[in-house]
Amino acid sequence: MAKKLKDVLANAGISMDLQAGGKAPDELIDREVKREPHERVKKLKNIFMDTLSSANNEFTYWYTREYMSLDNEIPVVRRAKALKAAFSHSTPAIYPGELLVMHKTTYFRGSFPMPWLSEGFYMAHEDEFYQEALKRGSASVDEHSKFGTGGGNVTKSFGKVVSLAGKFGMRQEEIPALLKLAKMWYGKSVDDLGNKYEKMVPEYKTKEQIMRSIICMFDSGFTLPQGREVINYYYPLELGFDGILKMANEMKGKVAGKADGDGMVGMNRLYNYEAVIQFIEGVQKWINNYSTELRRLINVTKDENLKKDYAQSAEILEWIEHNPPRTFREAIQMIETVHIGVLNEDAISGLSPGRIGQVLYPYFEQDIAAGRITEDEVLELLELDRVVKTSIDCFASAGVVGGVLSGNTFNTVSVGGLNKFGKSAANRLEYLILEAGANNAMPQSTIALLYDEQLPEDFLMLAAEVIKVGAGYPAFMNNRIAQEFMFHQYAEEGMTIEDSRAWAIGGCLETSACTWKPLHLNGKEYWIPGGAGQPTSVGVHFISMPKVLELVLFNGVDPRTKEKVYEPHNSKLETYEDVWEQFKLYWQKTVDVLNWTNNIQHDVWRKNNMSIFNSLLKPNCLEVGHLINELGYKYNGTFNIESAGTITLVNSLAALKKIVFEDKIVSLDTMKQAIVDNFGFKDAREVNSFSLADQEKKEGVIADQWEKLHFQVLQAPKYGNDDKYADEILLDWENFFCEDSRKYESLYARNLYPCQISVSTHGAMGSATLATPDGRLSGTTFADASMSAYPGTDRNGPFALLNSASIWDHSKSQNSQLNIKIHPTAIKGNEGTKKLLDLTRAYMRKGGFHVQYNVVDSKVLKNAQEHPEKYRDLMVRVAGFTQYWVEIGKSVQDELIARTEYEGV
Amino acid sequence: MEKLLYKDTRNYTPIDVTKGIDHVTGNIVLADNEAPAGYEVMPKCKNCSNFTAGADHMGICEASMNEPKFFTYPDLVAVTCGMYKGV
Repeated sequence: MAKKLKDVLANAGISMDLQAGGKAPDELIDREVKREPHERVKKLKNIFMDTLSSANNEFTYWYTREYMSLDNEIPVVRRAKALKAAFSHSTPAIYPGELLVMHKTTYFRGSFPMPWLSEGFYMAHEDEFYQEALKRGSASVDEHSKFGTGGGNVTKSFGKVVSLAGKFGMRQEEIPALLKLAKMWYGKSVDDLGNKYEKMVPEYKTKEQIMRSIICMFDSGFTLPQGREVINYYYPLELGFDGILKMANEMKGKVAGKADGDGMVGMNRLYNYEAVIQFIEGVQKWINNYSTELRRLINVTKDENLKKDYAQSAEILEWIEHNPPRTFREAIQMIETVHIGVLNEDAISGLSPGRIGQVLYPYFEQDIAAGRITEDEVLELLELDRVVKTSIDCFASAGVVGGVLSGNTFNTVSVGGLNKFGKSAANRLEYLILEAGANNAMPQSTIALLYDEQLPEDFLMLAAEVIKVGAGYPAFMNNRIAQEFMFHQYAEEGMTIEDSRAWAIGGCLETSACTWKPLHLNGKEYWIPGGAGQPTSVGVHFISMPKVLELVLFNGVDPRTKEKVYEPHNSKLETYEDVWEQFKLYWQKTVDVLNWTNNIQHDVWRKNNMSIFNSLLKPNCLEVGHLINELGYKYNGTFNIESAGTITLVNSLAALKKIVFEDKIVSLDTMKQAIVDNFGFKDAREVNSFSLADQEKKEGVIADQWEKLHFQVLQAPKYGNDDKYADEILLDWENFFCEDSRKYESLYARNLYPCQISVSTHGAMGSATLATPDGRLSGTTFADASMSAYPGTDRNGPFALLNSASIWDHSKSQNSQLNIKIHPTAIKGNEGTKKLLDLTRAYMRKGGFHVQYNVVDSKVLKNAQEHPEKYRDLMVRVAGFTQYWVEIGKSVQDELIARTEYEGV
Repeated sequence: MEKLLYKDTRNYTPIDVTKGIDHVTGNIVLADNEAPAGYEVMPKCKNCSNFTAGADHMGICEASMNEPKFFTYPDLVAVTCGMYKGV
């Protein structure tokens, strides 16, 4: 039997048990804190747990039918009318027990394809889908009962269901229509048009090579053109939909035929307001369809309680179809409706509600004072909101949904932070949001706590207690660092100290620009925060840093595919500095090429597929008459460059510096050969495990040849131990990356900035990368996030890790990301909760931006991998988001198991 | 007479591609199971007089204003369609 790396190292006296700060108990230890939601919530949650991700064509059909009939219409109006047709024709779906109603489609966990963004996937799989649709005609739907692992993912076709992208199920009878709709967008989609024009970039071939070698993960222009931003609910709350219509109609009259000094786009304001009107009318019809259905169901159901529920929900919808909400219940329904509406406008991942505890507080405060609602009723609604948000799926390509997002949609809620006047913004409703997160632990909304020294101690202790539920939230984000970043990035666009305090997390941990608006309720004014910036899901995403280093070592050729990616540098790489300088040159070439081609894709998007709903919600679009595509947002410099594999690169550079250039133990050529030979081990795919410890040694001479060198590189300096040798390489990287990013320009003529999250790309990108000089083996994952240590290499305890992570100025980047895995026994009881808070506070005070915790026993994860059917509801923190264990890919599962588990803090 | 399946009944709301709620009883039922006698038919294109059937689960919406007439498919729900005329 082949030897595993952990056994090889154990024979040499080196442990790879990946525990630090003590030893975990031998038995499986469950999480300490367990809570239950309200009975009504539990029933709906149970439905969710047994629900498959499902897609249909309804929205797609009506959008396409209307769009294709409007050949010569102004593009923004054409799009608005197509969206209006799609919303107006969406069939309402009501489920018993709901208090918050309305869904993306007629499924509980539904979504639909948007071939106007990209249709290539369906065309490429046309034959396969047709065959699935035809051959499965006689199969029984009872095959469904065999569907176990994968949670709600439809990973394979079964019965009368065809699997799309290994994630979504579609009824076989809808497949021919899907393919016909896709064909109608051939040559017209953002993907196709973008590709037609990006080919005109002289370096386009390099871009293709970069994508083929998986140096970059995906094109943001047609995959997720919006997202990782904070929505703004202000106008519907303040004006209601009729109020927005009134405003748009008045403004239309004011701007018609007038350029007002702007000869480029001044005239467009007329068409933009017309688009707003068309769109809002569509949304109103959509709401009306729901209230009509609720009224109908009152006469269908025999259950008296349901009749009351339906009547109440119908009344709320009938009101908010036209008017601003008056109560907490109406307000939370309004934001739910708006949220789902925006998500149906575009393929969006990471549409964060933002600081909803502060947005909804006026209604909460007044309803509680008037006795219109109790805290328990509010808590139930907040728990229900978690079912709604977790049920949201984003329909995008397999590579994006699986490889990058792990199926997550990142509807992050932020709590804490400061108010407009610089004081703690935490309020009673935010305590209840945290309580709801503990009672109804589900992946969405994940919670970001905007840490500030002014936040009340009991608020922070409650947050730390919620972390112990093990759902991975709240994550802590540093308010001071975020405000400083806001000034770095948005000073040129007029960022004020007040607006910098309004920030919130968009997506999983993207610091997003927001603003304050005055909400009026019963004669009282409240300043509420909301999004005012463009998406941050846009730009150059993600660049595999270890892969770029690999290309440096192999003179521009990908040793895996044997294809030339970059022009050969022909440097002999005689010093560490030679390697570092060449790395920077290849990095810059990569960013340049990807930025130019991405700019073209996004430009096509803004011309034909621009946002209308999300746009009109965000200041100052309604006031100025320009949508996102004409810089109507207050803050537009949101395009970024995302890195992946930071710590694997840092450790690799440290090993090269030490082993090759300083100690001269081996030559660079020998190191390269060891990399090609994978240090004598099999490839991870052959082993079907993606963590380092489980890799298997090959048999024979080659395997033994590299054993000593592999030991040496594994023991070279590693990040995460408060060891300056490796940490200063991180500092060099950060200083370069943070400055260099600002040299590139987005299509909106704003500079880019660094974004340092990996989401799940460390799995997919690791899979396409050979062994690295730090001893990581071919095909295994990179270190997760950007500040997490590589599994098993942080040996000096959590405070040493925090010191390593905070060696650089985090405010120069949109974010950084540090994930820490802690065994439940390490933070047991009230004392443990305090320790967890102390650890977090220490990091924030050192200037760290973000930390989040996985409170879990690694043995539970191993057991869950072997017996997924027993762990349908097990959740883990992956990288900025929480996901059901059974819905994430094996490579990331392996990496989660392998992460260093702290037994004491 | 052709069997009426739950997925083709007015008071069935799909939960996912395999099952849904029967609002009459409140039960979760399988989409392709036969509905009890007397259940109301769901407005779908295939039940509309404006629908002309074609091959392979496709057809034409004769009420369409597009030129040529836009296609449709039999199982498209028509609850919200103003042009729906039950057969």
